[in-house]
Amino acid sequence: MAPRYVSITLVALILGLMLAVQFRTTNKEVEPTAPRDRAHELTVELKNLAEERARLEAEAEDLERKLSRARQGYAQAKETLEGEVEKAAVIAGLTPVTGPGVRVLVATGTQTQGALFTVRDEDLLKLVNELRAAGAEALSINGERLISTSEIRLAGSFINVNTRKITPPYEILAVGDPAALESSLEIKGGLVETLRDWGMMVTVESMDKVRIPAYKGTLRYEYARPVREAA
Amino acid sequence: MVGLFFGLLIALQIRLSQEIRETVPIQRVQKLTAEVQAARAERDELQQRVAALRAELDAATAETGLAPLRSKLERYRIETGLVPVSGPGVEVTLKDSGAALQPGQNPNLYVLHDEDVLRVLNELRAAGAEVLALNGERILSTTEIRCIGPAILINKTVRKTAPFVITAIGDPQTLNNSLEMPGGVVDTLQRFWGIQVSIREMAQVTIPAYKGSREFEYARPVKEAK
Repeated sequence: MAPRYVSITLVALILGLMLAVQFRTTNKEVEPTAPRDRAHELTVELKNLAEERARLEAEAEDLERKLSRARQGYAQAKETLEGEVEKAAVIAGLTPVTGPGVRVLVATGTQTQGALFTVRDEDLLKLVNELRAAGAEALSINGERLISTSEIRLAGSFINVNTRKITPPYEILAVGDPAALESSLEIKGGLVETLRDWGMMVTVESMDKVRIPAYKGTLRYEYARPVREAA
Repeated sequence: MVGLFFGLLIALQIRLSQEIRETVPIQRVQKLTAEVQAARAERDELQQRVAALRAELDAATAETGLAPLRSKLERYRIETGLVPVSGPGVEVTLKDSGAALQPGQNPNLYVLHDEDVLRVLNELRAAGAEVLALNGERILSTTEIRCIGPAILINKTVRKTAPFVITAIGDPQTLNNSLEMPGGVVDTLQRFWGIQVSIREMAQVTIPAYKGSREFEYARPVKEAK
């Protein structure tokens, strides 16, 4: 074959490939990409469920152990009950905890920096929500432990947390996977970027160790009553 | 000409195998869905076993001398979400805006956002709500509210769809008033974004226990010097 034909063939081959690729890319835009996202979502859910199951299994084992001990006598019963109280106190936020995590500092920028908005309760509320979504196990704002009923709410000119007044700058501490917590806030186009666009000063710092104080109030239930489960 | 043809053929071949790969995710989704259902059933079963064991332990420690400890444990368990509770309270239903949009208005502004749910919850907390739930899912100290399309993802694995109903236990009147306050949360949601909010005072509502287990992976208790 003359070299001329070789080059023509080559050019035609490339042209053909290009044509087809062009087709593919225009086609692709129409095709839904949802199936892959669904599979991803389900996989994440499956992983979470597996973790939950493992934790429940451990919990059941622990309870079985305690149960057989509690049946041995009064002293043992008291001891196991104390053990359960201690365990519940940690989860309920009545014990100070430490662990790896992040420290988030939020303050209103100065006028010269072009501050558009001052820091409001809803900004803190959203930051805390992001951290919770990223798996924060324990949280505090300016030394106030956040429990399930903690409010973060503007009252007059101050923000109240656990009905106590807190003042800026606001320091949020969270225990959890530092990388996950930090990236959930610092993600491009995320909440912290928006707050910074509004002129707020936000710093997010990964920490090897943060210490989160215990809830200072007492748990009192005037209206809520536990429902006895039919055993 | 032959080259052009070949090029097309090769590319077509690639496309075809690509297409086959495209259908794999559907099989995957089916398989994963089945697995998720099975895992959830197993989880629920385990959860019931744990609840039963807890009840047994309570029965085993029923001596009168232990009453103070038991009532302490009971209170702590309410906060941790591990026991179902009931009491008077309110039921707040949130729905997307029913108003017809003017041309040029951003429809996204008139649907319910996670921040709206967060604000209502926050307001109820400020008004002294003792226990909260969203569509029957217990609100814990670690609970996030995350909008995913038209659904809300809560407690990491639980998906809830509209209408969104927030249940709160507390003084019904106080809870209701705090929401209905002029210029308050509900006023803002309704007036600016057209979100439909209805509040019902209830003599008794029941909030189920959290379905998962609660354990910290990173947080360790600090031993206090006694």
